[in-house]
Amino acid sequence: MADRKLGIIVRREYLERVRTKWFVIVTAFGPLFFLAIIMLPSVLARRSNASAEVTNVRILDATATDVGRRIAARLAGPDADTTRVEVVAVAPADLPAVREAAVTAVNDRRLQGVMVVDSSTFAGERTLYIGRNSGASADVELLTTALREGVLAYRLEAAGLDAPAARDIAQRRYRIDAQRPTAPGRERGDAMVNLLFGASVTMLLYVSIILYGVAVLRGVQEEKQTRVAEVVLSSVPANTLLAGKVLGVGAVGLTQIAIWVAAAPLLFRFRAPLLGALGVDNATSLPLPSIGVGAALTLVAFFILGYLLYSSLFAAVGAMVASEHEAQQAAQPIIMVLVAAMIFLQAVIAAPSGLTAKIVSWIPFTAPVIMPLRMSLTSVPPIELALVLLGMAITCWLCIRVAARIYRTGLLMYGKRPSLRELARWARRT
Amino acid sequence: MTHAVVFDRVAKRYESHVAVATLSLAIPTGTIYGILGPNGAGKTTSIRMLMNIIAPDEGRITVLGRDSTESGITDRIGYLPEERGLYRRMRVRAVLRFLAELKGVSAREADQRIDDWLLRLGLRTPERDWGTAKVEELSRGMQQKVQFIGTLLHDPDLVILDEPFSGLDPINAQALKDAMVELRARGKTVIFSTHMMDNAERMCDAVCIIARGRKVLDGTVSSLRASAGQARQVALAFADPIGLDENAAAVLADRTLISRCEVHSHSVDVELAHGADAQELLRALVHAGAAVSRFELVQPSLHQIFLDTVGATGVEPGMSGHG
Repeated sequence: MADRKLGIIVRREYLERVRTKWFVIVTAFGPLFFLAIIMLPSVLARRSNASAEVTNVRILDATATDVGRRIAARLAGPDADTTRVEVVAVAPADLPAVREAAVTAVNDRRLQGVMVVDSSTFAGERTLYIGRNSGASADVELLTTALREGVLAYRLEAAGLDAPAARDIAQRRYRIDAQRPTAPGRERGDAMVNLLFGASVTMLLYVSIILYGVAVLRGVQEEKQTRVAEVVLSSVPANTLLAGKVLGVGAVGLTQIAIWVAAAPLLFRFRAPLLGALGVDNATSLPLPSIGVGAALTLVAFFILGYLLYSSLFAAVGAMVASEHEAQQAAQPIIMVLVAAMIFLQAVIAAPSGLTAKIVSWIPFTAPVIMPLRMSLTSVPPIELALVLLGMAITCWLCIRVAARIYRTGLLMYGKRPSLRELARWARRT
Repeated sequence: MTHAVVFDRVAKRYESHVAVATLSLAIPTGTIYGILGPNGAGKTTSIRMLMNIIAPDEGRITVLGRDSTESGITDRIGYLPEERGLYRRMRVRAVLRFLAELKGVSAREADQRIDDWLLRLGLRTPERDWGTAKVEELSRGMQQKVQFIGTLLHDPDLVILDEPFSGLDPINAQALKDAMVELRARGKTVIFSTHMMDNAERMCDAVCIIARGRKVLDGTVSSLRASAGQARQVALAFADPIGLDENAAAVLADRTLISRCEVHSHSVDVELAHGADAQELLRALVHAGAAVSRFELVQPSLHQIFLDTVGATGVEPGMSGHG
């Protein structure tokens, strides 16, 4: 009886949303949107690498060696002829005056910057660089690399190595291929893939929970504002109406995510250009992130519990306010909690097993977005996952109980927005 | 006589006020029953408790022979709330089918009935089928019709209308009255609440007057009017359109005969003084030489009964005897 009515409500909520243009558009362009969000920063960073002005520098060499020339050659790269790197050999005594002249040239915008190579460079203490681009991290990194390679090659040759060997050693890059252990029989987890996967899942959960939570809020608000609520309540209990709405909207969310997951192999086919843009070499050799059925089910559990938690709160907000404008205001505190979770994103990526990351991934309100990220970056013991999910389930149950009471009372109150005291009274009412 | 609805000592209190205090009522099956009272009297709260939307603190309500909290009972009730509306972005047919299905009508059966109703209320004509339009595309009057169809689509045995005439245009109001009479003819029970006494007086078989959450009076309209005592109101008119010659005026000014006198453009309403007799007044008028063209003893109206029993203190702003 009640189940049949619940089914009718769920069906209406589901069909009315899935049939809209809005749903089609978001489903079609959602993945592109996510990719853009994830990739845009690195694409922009890559663009800013290529500061053409970085070679418009004067190197003041007070070491009486060819180190300044070597640094210039490294900085200029293979196309040395076209560059404007200028090396001036200076006697240590003349250095202050020559430096002042160069700084004037920088100020007059004839030069981008000036680097001073002297005895403290060899001592490994510091090398002065005064430039208009001294705040651009990409430029400073390029200058640092050129400096390190130039000095290293000079000192290796001075120690007796022949020139090609010295250059080879100086220019060789050393990088760590960071991987994480996985269960035997599965592909190794590549750190970069894990980070990408984790960030994508977190982003997806964050956006989905807000998107569908707010959809519940708007749905409740519409029912209250158009006064259709009492018409429906004459046929079904308030709890059934609330459950039907939350389940119906949630089903829309799961449908959308299912479509995206099904489309993932397509994105995977084009992983080379996509990941290449992110600075991942040999992208074609990368495997799909290896996630087992258990991990996938855990992620779904995080989405469902996170969605239930937030959508019940959003439903209560929708029922207690009188207009959409008020609803936006009243929903702010809830959205702030989710935004707060995203603020910890960097900290969690930097140290997924750190105390901060652990605490944020345990709190039921931030766990649904942070724990999936931690899971993909490091191994989280199953018992920990189980406890966090249990904590979320309990919080969920409490929130739904309180929200249902506020919903039931608020839906038929057409006056002013209730005070906190009144809300507490509604929440206690059985 | 069977009763469609019985309120047995029902009470509902909120933190700050008493909405309904120990209300007992029996509403006969197959009648049009009015719940009357000023705004804030507890009409909507009583109806919401009857619909099991809110729970009473005390007492019990029996609906169609079963407890009002029993599941499934609301499927036999059609309810038009005072605060009413529809899903604006849904199509008319879809909304109506949704409402019918919630009442247990199968989709196919619902579609058939929707077609009949749309035709009957002029929402489906050869030129235009409004059933395929979205609710928000409809005029306010059309939306009222759709709302009304939604209330009756499952052919309920009991129809509850909370302030049904508020906001209704005259054409829809008449259509609603016709439908209420037709429902009664088919043996259905219709309950409606109103603060407009004239409507109630014309349509209801029986009424209940409540004020400040308490029942003041209930019974059939005729018994209420009879028990309100002898007619104390006389409607007078005189052959001379100006109405009052000096002699007649002197009679009407006699406070041993008349306690109150209201002079209108073509008539005079008077209230007999305590202990005075209507015949005595007529004799006095004739004796004074007034050309009486109308002399009618008027039964007290519901409005008058209401004022007499509740008193002016029970009437809040917005209360009106006419509508």
